[in-house]
Amino acid sequence: MKAFLVAFGIAVLLAGATGAQAYHRFWANCNYDAPTFMTTMTRDAAQDYANAARYEGYQWGGGCWNYDDSDSYPYDAPGDPSAHGEGGDCSGLTFKTWRESTDDWRDGRYYWRALRNVHGPYTSGDFKNGLGAPNHVVAKSTAGAMDAFASSTHIGMVFFRSLYGGDQIVEAKCEACGTNIFYRTYRSDPSYGGVARWGWTG
Amino acid sequence: MRRPGIRSLAGGAAGIVAGIIGGIALTSVSAASGPTPAVPAIDVAHVPPVLTRPGEPVTLRYAIVCAPRDDGEPCDGSGSVYVRLGQSGQFRRLELARGEDSSKGRYFVGLPSEITSSRDGFSYYATLRDRTSGATMTVPAGGETAPQRSFPLRVATEIALGVPAFGGERMPDERVVAAPWGSDVGEAGLAGSRELGFVGPSSFDIAADGAVTVLDQVNGRVERWSRADVTTTDVKVSGGLADFALEPGGTMDVLEPPSRTSPAPVLRSLRADGTPRWSQRLSDRTWAKLAAGPAGPTVQQQPSEQWLPVAEHGAALGRTAQADRGRPGRPFANGREVLVERVGAGELRLAELAGNAVVRAWRITSATPLGEVQLAEPLGNRLVVVTKTYTDDRSDYVALVLDRTGIAASFAIEPIEWAESAPLARFRLAGSSLYRLGSTRAELLVDRFDLEVSR
Repeated sequence: MKAFLVAFGIAVLLAGATGAQAYHRFWANCNYDAPTFMTTMTRDAAQDYANAARYEGYQWGGGCWNYDDSDSYPYDAPGDPSAHGEGGDCSGLTFKTWRESTDDWRDGRYYWRALRNVHGPYTSGDFKNGLGAPNHVVAKSTAGAMDAFASSTHIGMVFFRSLYGGDQIVEAKCEACGTNIFYRTYRSDPSYGGVARWGWTG
Repeated sequence: MRRPGIRSLAGGAAGIVAGIIGGIALTSVSAASGPTPAVPAIDVAHVPPVLTRPGEPVTLRYAIVCAPRDDGEPCDGSGSVYVRLGQSGQFRRLELARGEDSSKGRYFVGLPSEITSSRDGFSYYATLRDRTSGATMTVPAGGETAPQRSFPLRVATEIALGVPAFGGERMPDERVVAAPWGSDVGEAGLAGSRELGFVGPSSFDIAADGAVTVLDQVNGRVERWSRADVTTTDVKVSGGLADFALEPGGTMDVLEPPSRTSPAPVLRSLRADGTPRWSQRLSDRTWAKLAAGPAGPTVQQQPSEQWLPVAEHGAALGRTAQADRGRPGRPFANGREVLVERVGAGELRLAELAGNAVVRAWRITSATPLGEVQLAEPLGNRLVVVTKTYTDDRSDYVALVLDRTGIAASFAIEPIEWAESAPLARFRLAGSSLYRLGSTRAELLVDRFDLEVSR
């Protein structure tokens, strides 16, 4: 019994230490299942999808989360893709919400489950320039629900317009911000351009 | 030394296995625990028509947002709008229809003309439902106690803005703060990177004596520039893009955004020495702007799209109490409210309200798209408005001093915004001067523009 207790105590300490924890990062919970092809793709289904990713954290280069309403690893080093924490980054969240393909020449319409670990091929700058078959640039004044505003460093999707002329933006903004809906003025900011996905069905 | 027996070895091995499992479980629990509110089972978005023109048809549109369905289809929602003529009396129930297009809200109802043509406007609230889960939500959260209120623009001063030249901006009368990036006294904190973007002080305010107080959240302090010196006060804030307001007497209000560990927005009330008085979660999920109202801090919130007081006479209000006091306009010390509605790409409607009656109103149209309204505040018998005109690659702020006849004064202000700040915290009106928070690659700036009105 004494040997059990001594070994148990040492193991608890070691398992709780950072090195051991790193081996069991959030991505260990993720999968690489095939997405589901969808014939329909509506803006409000995209609102449902992005809204559910709120509270699930941010991971630079990431695209995998669960639905437990908390960031399992909220203090990862910013800008470190090897942290393998929970959440998407801005472009990963947009890619999955817009049901895009990992092949930039395909339209996609792939429904990626939350725990499917995929970021997609696009940076925020790529989105801003309308790169990829599913994406295109739009005039900012015309951007509507679940269109997006993108800069060279960030992309956020329009959750809904707002009374004072700004927008409610659903976005994975930064490690400390997590993923959530924030009021932003990207629409009138010259560093941001309007970008949208082709093919909404409703 | 005695050789370990087989029982000791087995016990030790079992202890190691149990300890590893326990350790991982403990760290997982600690990482996931905390005072985390859950994402609501249903959410709603709606832009209320707070100011309507005579004869204008009104369609109320709502987005209903639910948990994602496994088949990838949108929420199966429904809802009712409760609407009445004017601002008091019984509500009448109208069912929402489900449309084919969700770009402006899938669920809608057209209001009958006998309601939209009322001289006293109309008021309404809605109850939305996810038919799959049974979850419901009322918007605005105050329901029949604090409904959306819409007022007619019967006698509005019509103003057509010319096409902006982009480049004819006015220079400030004085640069009152120029603080290099850094953490010493007299400097301002900068966070971020070229890859992720940069964040500077997120908000500021002007004291009655003209001193400029900046929320330097990156350095965990507020910094105060007076004519005599610069002083700092440490404050415990999250470091996110918060809004900031000074109350008379020196109380400081910091409106925190959601963060990785506190995903609901919170207002922190701080004493003048930076020590906390209280903190209060907002009624709604999202905020646009904080202001010091006549009875305490008030916040423009979504999805209600109302101004909700977060405290009264120094005491915090709970979420229900906030919702029950929602109003369509920002309240001012003269007892009046200012209503703002940005419509379409290039229209701005403004009104001053006394009780539930429109006192003065303006309707501004622009050939160039209009962005957000940073500020709309009375100045004597005038109204000062700062909004933005923009194209896809240019923008300018436009400051307007409005009176009953139209524009008494106007000028353009160049946006100098190298580092990000809170969304509607770029301008403050103090006395008859407008202050602007800006930034360059080298420093934080606060500029003063004196409002000279010639008529």
